[in-house]
Amino acid sequence: MKKTGLYIVIVGCGRLGAHLANRLSSEGHSVVAIDLSESAFPGLSADFSGFRIEGDATQTAVLREAKVHKADVLIATTHDDNVNLMVAQVAKKIFNTPKVLARVFDPRRETAYAQLGIRTICPTSVAAGLFFDAISEDE
Amino acid sequence: MSEKSILVVDGEQNVRTMMTQALEPLGIPVQTAINGEDALKKMETTTYSVVFLDLKMPGMDGLKVLRHIQQERPGVRVVIVSAHGSVESVAEAMKLGAVDFLEKPFTPTEVRDLATQILEREVLETSQVIHFPDWATLMHEPVSDRSIACARDIVCRAVSTGPSRAEAYTLLASLFEVGFQRLEEMKQLPKVKPTEPFIEGEL
Repeated sequence: MKKTGLYIVIVGCGRLGAHLANRLSSEGHSVVAIDLSESAFPGLSADFSGFRIEGDATQTAVLREAKVHKADVLIATTHDDNVNLMVAQVAKKIFNTPKVLARVFDPRRETAYAQLGIRTICPTSVAAGLFFDAISEDE
Repeated sequence: MSEKSILVVDGEQNVRTMMTQALEPLGIPVQTAINGEDALKKMETTTYSVVFLDLKMPGMDGLKVLRHIQQERPGVRVVIVSAHGSVESVAEAMKLGAVDFLEKPFTPTEVRDLATQILEREVLETSQVIHFPDWATLMHEPVSDRSIACARDIVCRAVSTGPSRAEAYTLLASLFEVGFQRLEEMKQLPKVKPTEPFIEGEL
């Protein structure tokens, strides 16, 4: 069953972060988007009904301002794997966020993240899988 | 008792939408106002149980609206909605009689819990209250209304029903402190001197 009314914090408001924020907001969730630069926020649609916070999410004060301790989900989608890992770890260990997801570009890091209990999604692995599936279908 | 309803006053569409969605499960009519003027206009025709009022709005700001509400409709419970870090304005709003405050960003649960708490406080009547938790809920109302004597009375009753609960004692101590400060303030007022010399036997 699809849950609604969740409090979701998205760190990094680039193409992926903004897309997620827009979609989750339109599905009735309360979304907080955090980005280092205010220039990232125009990626959010006019219908986005969440909050925007300009700040460095590697600082706990910024996460506290976003009320990560009350969040149901945190998604780390910055362009830096290390930042995503750090933010995800802080959310998991310090703020006890129940569900923490991170994007990781480097597939070799997936195992390391998994050992820390952080669920990751690697666009490289996902795309590679889809390519393999497409090749198999053609055969 | 009149039907309950809630008014959300915020200049930002996203906040109005989010609060309306968050309050929806309570099953209480929720109306929105885009600014202070709109809010006061809506309050002329409808009596709201709770008003969520943003501090920072274009035109008439939250504090001005709050002053109007306190003068014109003192029974309305106002919750201040503020941005992170606006401590001074929130403190001023609380002094003006706001019952509570909510800091942005907020979770849907925070909004719902706060509204429920305030609405429950409204329902409680002193004659029906027996247990400590109800007294504890009730004692915040006169405090926010700055009715010190009434607050003291309720807190004393709360103490008698739950003598082992520390929070009532703490509040009682604070209330006495407030009372003492007022006394001190009154002492600072200039004394009224008779303009005419007192003539014995005249009165």
